[in-house]
Amino acid sequence: MAAVTLTNVVKRFGGFEVVHGANIDIADGEFVVFVGPSGCGKSTLLRMVAGLEDISGGEIAIGGKVVNDVEPADRGVAMVFQSYALYPHMTVEQNLSFGLRMNGNPKADTERRVKRAAEILRIDELMQRRPKQLSGGQRQRVAIGRAIVREPQVFLFDEPLSNLDAELRVQMRVEISRLHKELGVTMIYVTHDQTEAMTLADRIVVLKSGNVEQIGAPLDLYDDPSNRFVAGFIGSPKMNFLKGKVTEISNSAAIIELVNHGGAKLRKPLGQELPAVGAEVVLGVRPEHFCEAGEGDCDIPVKADVAEHLGSVSYVYANAGPEELVIEREASRQRAGDDHFTVSIKAERSLLFDKAGARIR
Amino acid sequence: MRYRNATAYRFLTPYLLIFAIFWIWPIISSFIISFQATRTVPWRFAPTFNWGRLIGDPAFYNALKNTLLILVIQVPVMISLAIVMAVLLNSPLLKARGLYRFAFFAPVVVGEVAYSAVFRLMFSLDFGIVNKLLDSVGLSKIDWFSNVTPAMAVIMIAVTWRWAGYNAIILLAGLQSIPDDVYEAATLDRVSKLKQFFYITLPLLKPVIVFCAVLSIIGTMQLFTEPFLITERGGPGGGTETLGLLLYRQGFRSLNFGYASAVAYTMAGLAIAITLVQLWLTRDPK
Repeated sequence: MAAVTLTNVVKRFGGFEVVHGANIDIADGEFVVFVGPSGCGKSTLLRMVAGLEDISGGEIAIGGKVVNDVEPADRGVAMVFQSYALYPHMTVEQNLSFGLRMNGNPKADTERRVKRAAEILRIDELMQRRPKQLSGGQRQRVAIGRAIVREPQVFLFDEPLSNLDAELRVQMRVEISRLHKELGVTMIYVTHDQTEAMTLADRIVVLKSGNVEQIGAPLDLYDDPSNRFVAGFIGSPKMNFLKGKVTEISNSAAIIELVNHGGAKLRKPLGQELPAVGAEVVLGVRPEHFCEAGEGDCDIPVKADVAEHLGSVSYVYANAGPEELVIEREASRQRAGDDHFTVSIKAERSLLFDKAGARIR
Repeated sequence: MRYRNATAYRFLTPYLLIFAIFWIWPIISSFIISFQATRTVPWRFAPTFNWGRLIGDPAFYNALKNTLLILVIQVPVMISLAIVMAVLLNSPLLKARGLYRFAFFAPVVVGEVAYSAVFRLMFSLDFGIVNKLLDSVGLSKIDWFSNVTPAMAVIMIAVTWRWAGYNAIILLAGLQSIPDDVYEAATLDRVSKLKQFFYITLPLLKPVIVFCAVLSIIGTMQLFTEPFLITERGGPGGGTETLGLLLYRQGFRSLNFGYASAVAYTMAGLAIAITLVQLWLTRDPK
């Protein structure tokens, strides 16, 4: 087991910089998820930790030892690839034991490790099959098993569930969580799926265009995002953003006019950072934080467009002026033909961002 | 549906007719001819005439021995060389990959007569660059075309030069279909590059290697141009005569079509047999 520290890590491909000085501290035994949209540099960061990509600048330390120039095999990491990367011509057993056999590991120890991995992942019955005779979920188990037999200090997962169907993804997610509890090793997991990030992580690192946007526990990121990108990325369905303008500042609060909602105004108490009067701002409201008309601080009329009924809740996709809002309602509240209705926003359940996307607290 | 099929066959008729007349019929006809004595007029049916002669003909055994010798030495050497070339071509360190790919493939497009003439010149006793090179490093000259072993070597070198690049390009396509992450997984497993080559690349490339080997076996069984042009009709003294050349000599110089047909069927039968044995030896274990 080992802590992983990234200090000012930079990655350039030719003259093009894709990771701009990432600083991330991962504690021993922690489960950290790198999340972000395609091209944000999350896989590149992971591959740099693994040693499969050179580090253009900065330092990566594993277990307190700088590994910039250490061979991938000597870093004490094991990686699970998105495409599983199983050796197609070998049986499951050979796949699991290949690395150990190639390195002259004692036969008895190799057998013990393979047996243990097979038991942990419940793949004992598949040992003589080849990868093409396995389902996607089984292949992913074997790929994880191959990582387990290495008994690494750090597990690296590169979008391991993205080739699986939705049901299997949920199942494997639970298994990976269980595995983390059982092994107690440091795990770094890359995904573009915020649900995976929220459900698996001890801490999430949100990345965008090669920059670390925010690091924190899943619910901290959900409740207290530091910018509009994180607010929009974490949470499903996404947070709603309503255009606003500061019309007045009084008693440490900003009066915000929602410009697309017929002059509806909201009084938003703030701390130290007060925006200027006239400043353009964005008000963020999560779908589940809308309340019934009159119960909040600012009512806005909306017109329902489409409703998704999920059983316990419904998501209503509604138009309010030029803005499209997603509103969570209890299933029974959304009646058929109930096209026009009014929702309300509570100031304390809304977040304020400046025009550039930075949070105003 | 049936009407649509009929229309399709009508469109195919010109091709099918030509295929039947110039491919299918000669195959059947030569099989029949192989059971006929064709040096009498008229030809007469004599089932053991050609096949019986074949079994006892020293010229046939000489040609068979030469062909198999070339097959056994040249094909493995060429395929091994092609694998090395393909791996080098696939290296991310290589610059001007397109140029090398073209250069490796170019020998196939060079005319057979031109290439044979160049090889004759290169290995000429007094004027050839090969002997000049040997001379310059203090080795004695070799009379390449007057002795059987050097003459065979020239044929093998020439065939290898001509076809190694072609096979390398096919193998390169196979190499490129092996995903990078398999190698990355092996790198993380601390498997050296050399072991990766033997335990990952070669097994995954096996179907393509077998394909190249089968093509090469068939090609070598039919080998004709090189012994005809480079070593002057299988010289010295029939020392490089192959089955293809024996067939030509019997069929088109002695006009003994029956015997030539029997040789042709023997060549095809051997090629099929060797290929089947090879496919069986390299089959995937269940």
